Amino acid sequence: MIERESAADIEARAVRWVVRADQGLLTAAERAELDAWLAGDPRRAGAHARAEAAWVMLDRAKALSGPSPSPARGGMVRRGLLAGLGAAVAACAAIVVVPRLLSARYGTAVGEIRRVPLSDGSLAAINTDTVLDVAMRPRLRQVKLDKGEAWFQVAKDPQRPFVVESGPVRVRAVGTAFSVRRRDGGCEVLVTEGVVEAWSQEVGAAPRRVRAGERIFVSDEVGPASPAAAPIDITRSLAWREGQIVLDGEAFAAAAAEFNRYNARKIVIADETMGEEKLVGWFRTNEPESFARAAASSFGGKVSVRGDVILVEAGE
Amino acid sequence: MTDGRARIVAWLGREILPHEGDVRAWLRRSLAAAGDADDVIQETYCRLAGLASVDHIESPRAYFFQAARSVALEQLRRARVVRIETVTEIDALNVELDEPSPERIAGGRRELARVQRLIAALPDRCRRIFEMRKIEGLPQREIARRMGVTEHVVENESVRGLRAILAALAEGETHQDAVPRRSSSHDRTRKRR
Repeated sequence: MIERESAADIEARAVRWVVRADQGLLTAAERAELDAWLAGDPRRAGAHARAEAAWVMLDRAKALSGPSPSPARGGMVRRGLLAGLGAAVAACAAIVVVPRLLSARYGTAVGEIRRVPLSDGSLAAINTDTVLDVAMRPRLRQVKLDKGEAWFQVAKDPQRPFVVESGPVRVRAVGTAFSVRRRDGGCEVLVTEGVVEAWSQEVGAAPRRVRAGERIFVSDEVGPASPAAAPIDITRSLAWREGQIVLDGEAFAAAAAEFNRYNARKIVIADETMGEEKLVGWFRTNEPESFARAAASSFGGKVSVRGDVILVEAGE
Repeated sequence: MTDGRARIVAWLGREILPHEGDVRAWLRRSLAAAGDADDVIQETYCRLAGLASVDHIESPRAYFFQAARSVALEQLRRARVVRIETVTEIDALNVELDEPSPERIAGGRRELARVQRLIAALPDRCRRIFEMRKIEGLPQREIARRMGVTEHVVENESVRGLRAILAALAEGETHQDAVPRRSSSHDRTRKRR
């Protein structure tokens, strides 16, 4: 569902067809091409009708007489947009000039997500309830992840490998982007760019190479499993960087556990069968109650809130 | 365009497009990701364009809301999707329907003003092309000659202009002076992908 043709792409093509057809320039072959395109997806036919409607509506302008209207309004709209862009650029600039320390600890509270620039030019996005210790040494960029999860965009520096340490698990990168999540008994590693090497110090085996679009679980005691290709999965799994949880067929119980990582108010599902129901959706990490209510109503359950517990039970 | 098709398209432009901003705002409040609202809108136009006749439709605005609602619900069912507020917000529909249609209030004059404003808001070169094409009714070849550019440039500018106009319609720019729009107070996460 993530890789389908975007509404914007569809609109762009639909508009071009409308403009060209208006000039009466469509050959029989083009007409056939248009028909085939329209038949491919109801959204295309819809976008085409919409663009055509707007185009035809503009013919009403012919009824106007007198001088053409002042463009002042449009000018204002554009200036407003530019001002917005300016603010966005300023916000980006502000991130870059944050002071950089050589050795630092970064912690996040439950529900907190931080992005921090590191002194070597790398960037770390730190997920909920995480502790990260960063030490920039002359020959090594050392990052300790005691608990939680973080994603790193690593600045290239072949002389100084970037190594994430979590228990006995090691993940090494030179210039790449990846995330490490501490779980019971090991770490989950997702690679979004380049290549990393992952291993456990408890095991003698050679490091395992993991490439962009792959995920791997590195057990503390057994070492790395085989990497699995999962590019779409990875995009979803890293949605937390935007404060989102993206579900695509996860069980309700697993999804609730994911929300519970981010919130002091915990979702408790009293009904086991309901906990196994699968769901799809896009949520904000900090809205566990909306999520619980939406899911419960979809599965015929009911929700009650007592103190820090959001209880989901089977409906009557 | 056949006659029937031409009638539907004209009806869409006159009776449906002006309400798109409101329908979108409602969809955005109901669905978590704006990308989904775009999909629903396109599918809704597909349904409306496929109508055999529109004579029986008394309130196009209400019809538009109902159609969008039914497309949205169908998508939810198809994907077994649950999203923030979907369930509660779907009932907010009734509130929207009670608002008087700006079309019914204002009639043709406002429609002309709207078209005028949409064209006026375009970037300069786009605007000139649209004025020649839509007001003076010049063919593309003649527009290209007068502006000293190729027909290809005129086509590209036309595409750009029409997309800008569709974007303005999507924002509900067109009748902000007719009905105060309910602002979307939710700080929603917009992007997916």
